[in-house]
Amino acid sequence: MSKLSTLQRGQLAAQAAPPGGAARPAAVAGTARRWLTHPAVAAVVALALVLLPFTGQDKFVLSVAVTTFITAIAAASLHLIVRTGHVSLGHAAFMGIGAYVSALATMRLNLPFPLAVCLAFLAPAALALLVGPVVLRLTGKYFVLVTFLFGEIVRTVFVNWTEVTGGSNGIFGVPAPSPYFAEPVPFYYLALGFMLVILALIARLFNSEIGRAIEAIRESEPLARCSGVPVLRLKVTIFVLACGLAGIAGALQGHFVRYIDPTSFATDQSLTLVVINVVGGMFTLVGPILGTLFMVLLPEFLRGYVELQHVFFGVVLILVMAFFSGGIADMGQLLRRGGAKGAK
Amino acid sequence: MSSRALSKFKLATGMLCAAAAFAAAAPAGAQETLKIGVIASLSGGGTAWGQGLQRGVQIAADHVNEEGGLKIGGKTYKLEVIAFDDQYNAAQAKTAADRLVNREQVKVIFGPVGSPGALGSLPVTQPAKVLQFVDGYAPSILKNEWKGAYVFRVNNSNLEFSEPIVEWLRKANPQAKKVGMIAPNDATGQVAVPLLADAYKKNGFEVHTEYYERGTKEFTPLLLRMMAQKIDVFELNSNAPGEAGLLIKQARQVGYKGVIIQSGGAGIDELIQIAGPLAKGVLKYDVIDESLPRVKPFITLYHQKYTGLVNGLAPMYYNAASIVFEAMRRADSIDTTRVRDQLERMDDYDSPILGKVAWTGEKEYGVKHQLLHTFLIKEVQDGKGVVKASITPQPQQ
Amino acid sequence: MFNSAVLTQVAVDGIGLSAIYILIALGFTLLFGIMRVVNFAHGAFAMLGGYALFYLYGDWGLPYLVAAPLAALVVAAAALVLERFVYRFFYQKMFQSMIGLLGLDMAIMYLAVIAWNAEERSVPPGTEALVEVGDLVFPAQKLIIAAIAAVALLAFYLFTHYTRYGRAMRAAAQDVEIAQAQGVNSSAIYQLAFFIAVFMAALAGGFYAQTYALSPFVGEPQLMIAFVVVILGGMGSIPGVALGGLLLGLANSFLGTFYGSAASTFVTFGAVILLLIFRPWGLLGAKEA
Repeated sequence: MSKLSTLQRGQLAAQAAPPGGAARPAAVAGTARRWLTHPAVAAVVALALVLLPFTGQDKFVLSVAVTTFITAIAAASLHLIVRTGHVSLGHAAFMGIGAYVSALATMRLNLPFPLAVCLAFLAPAALALLVGPVVLRLTGKYFVLVTFLFGEIVRTVFVNWTEVTGGSNGIFGVPAPSPYFAEPVPFYYLALGFMLVILALIARLFNSEIGRAIEAIRESEPLARCSGVPVLRLKVTIFVLACGLAGIAGALQGHFVRYIDPTSFATDQSLTLVVINVVGGMFTLVGPILGTLFMVLLPEFLRGYVELQHVFFGVVLILVMAFFSGGIADMGQLLRRGGAKGAK
Repeated sequence: MSSRALSKFKLATGMLCAAAAFAAAAPAGAQETLKIGVIASLSGGGTAWGQGLQRGVQIAADHVNEEGGLKIGGKTYKLEVIAFDDQYNAAQAKTAADRLVNREQVKVIFGPVGSPGALGSLPVTQPAKVLQFVDGYAPSILKNEWKGAYVFRVNNSNLEFSEPIVEWLRKANPQAKKVGMIAPNDATGQVAVPLLADAYKKNGFEVHTEYYERGTKEFTPLLLRMMAQKIDVFELNSNAPGEAGLLIKQARQVGYKGVIIQSGGAGIDELIQIAGPLAKGVLKYDVIDESLPRVKPFITLYHQKYTGLVNGLAPMYYNAASIVFEAMRRADSIDTTRVRDQLERMDDYDSPILGKVAWTGEKEYGVKHQLLHTFLIKEVQDGKGVVKASITPQPQQ
Repeated sequence: MFNSAVLTQVAVDGIGLSAIYILIALGFTLLFGIMRVVNFAHGAFAMLGGYALFYLYGDWGLPYLVAAPLAALVVAAAALVLERFVYRFFYQKMFQSMIGLLGLDMAIMYLAVIAWNAEERSVPPGTEALVEVGDLVFPAQKLIIAAIAAVALLAFYLFTHYTRYGRAMRAAAQDVEIAQAQGVNSSAIYQLAFFIAVFMAALAGGFYAQTYALSPFVGEPQLMIAFVVVILGGMGSIPGVALGGLLLGLANSFLGTFYGSAASTFVTFGAVILLLIFRPWGLLGAKEA
């Protein structure tokens, strides 16, 4: 379920899916989420984002917005994996691969930006295809650990493969996608465009047969397998897609900050993405979006109280995991039911 | 609260609000505020340096304010330091720079510490002609597409002190033949180590290097490896004080008896605290001599305001900030181009901590924005750093 | 370089490393074995133990033999509050515990930064003496740590196999409901296990602070060590901790000395990943359903 399913519906009016069916809430309890996924709300939010630069906001606001969009893409891509029942603690590594590939493609191979972005999608996706079949067989905590270690290994490669990656000093002077996009407002629209398209894609995915198969896998793998769902194949496909999308987010970040280095794609960032998904809500696409807003905007309000920020995040994590497994997205429902246990 | 207390409280609050409103409506021009930006790692592992940087700038600003403010162009400015955390991370440094430049409209930024932060913030500050005073070793900081026009390095980098120190060491230890280096493979280490190794080779030493991951604390295996090469000198170069202290302690604990020197880093106290009595005889690069009368006021000011050890960056940035404020006074303007031009010409200014200002860097970076200053070699004796030599590097011709 | 003097030194160093690894990992595996909780905050307790020792021994100057256990006791007792208000919600819930306790770890770590700021300190060792046997040199402090590790392992083993409470713990670990049906007070047992686990962590943290450094961030490497040891040896297995600790310590010492730091890291990570893929329950762990 996603607030953008209707946006996408509006754009592809010729789609076969019946209007009523696509708006049906997902199998998981969360009826209060309906107000978030209501077509009007989604359209209003998207419109507001499109109009934002015209309200005379300074460059700083646009800059924070772009950071939010990029993080949202990364968090949503992790969400794909989370919905299959696996939490990856190495997702930032795939972002990093995309970032380096795109930077090198534009700087050393002089490829145009669109091509570089495609490569930024393909490279991490290919790696995911390689490791996926092996690691996706592992259950919960072991998968977390393996992905964590994998992330560390990738980071070590970034640090040590100095000839290609620049080592710990990274790559400086990553160009903007084109001289036109070096300005804040055009880049804002570029990032916004990417985000809307990718979120729409993911939402569409969850609404389809594949989405239902994913839910089935998450709820009970053995049962799904017995029902004929090609579990491993599907998990790997989703994993590959997710890592590819993360690569795109990484590429956008590289061309935005104009500098990439190994510390930008390390465990800290992977952890942040996980926290976003957990706190925002692991069972709905709205979750990572809310989580991103929470994680990106809160530090801006609490600037100057960095330690308190972290303490606060920590406490929120505890509370969410102990009581509201569904995260912020499920808050409405919980408040209605008077604090009853969350979805799972 | 009792009802009497409550009404008193309301009265007090009311008066405070009135006072605030009055102050806010006070006639403009009484004193304008000049915002000074700071970007530094204020959380995470790099906090000690980030705090050092921030505190150094804050002390300098407070000092100016106490003397009545910064008098420029007929106006008097009260200095306000606005500091943002970059968590030693490029993307965060960019956001912090964005906020400082676009929202707070600062014209001068001190920091970040470390190359990732520095390189992340430059694309924001340089096109906007904001002056930046950075602490990071990467050459791209000064040698870049903006020709380093508005960025300065206010701390000796390896390039400035490596050769002089090695030459001094060679004279003090004519017999030594082999040098062993153990360094982290982070941004600083990967730049500093090759430079230092070259300096050693030029002076007739054979060099062995080992890298480790930042966060390692157990060095005995690497130390054994080093000792098997029969080194005479153990060089700690860009190691952070914590790791340097551990390396010293563990080296002695594993039986190494040769010379230990650290050509890099600033400040010696933290290292002594960690290595304890085993730090005896260790040689180290440092930038301030606390016994000098010119330095004492700063140390006193620091301890009045803050607790804990004085991090090496605090005096550096106190010094840098003082230079910048003086440049503003001399240029009689806060226009960054005029201040920048003035800075470049300030060769006769005697800065509070480091003495005469000298800029270098034409050869390596194409722009003379690297501060070149006298430094010290200290030896640890009786738990304190004692000045053994004072070296003034000459600009590379 | 491969001569007997160096090899002996490497072996001795390896055992020294193993000792501290074992101490760090013991509490971690206990919490997993008994309560099925993946204690991501384990390092935080070790860090707190370090600060406790810093104040009791480094600052107030209590004799070492009093300060070390007292520091661990203080931390463990204080942590019981967390047991009641945080851990209780995560027993038998592996996945939630991971993320939730990660939050606890962050909270404790940054509260420590606020309280003690980020600078690195050190705690003086129990003794500065160096032991020199022929060519072999190592600090006497490591002997103390090794002795305590051996004692702890033995004590654990005896406790869980020969005492009433210990056996109750094992029963609860195997199947808490049946154990309860047999009259085991599971919440009391959990509290006891928690207390012991945190005590061990804090004790290890004290040693770590003396050997290496103390700052609010030193919990993280200790958590990593605990993880690796426990994965190698098997989650929930005490002999596994001994085996895993020894393997890791000797491997780090050997590989680091002869092949450098990068080799050591790669091999260790590689081994752990392979183990997780092919034998996730570790060398001595129990295969899970």
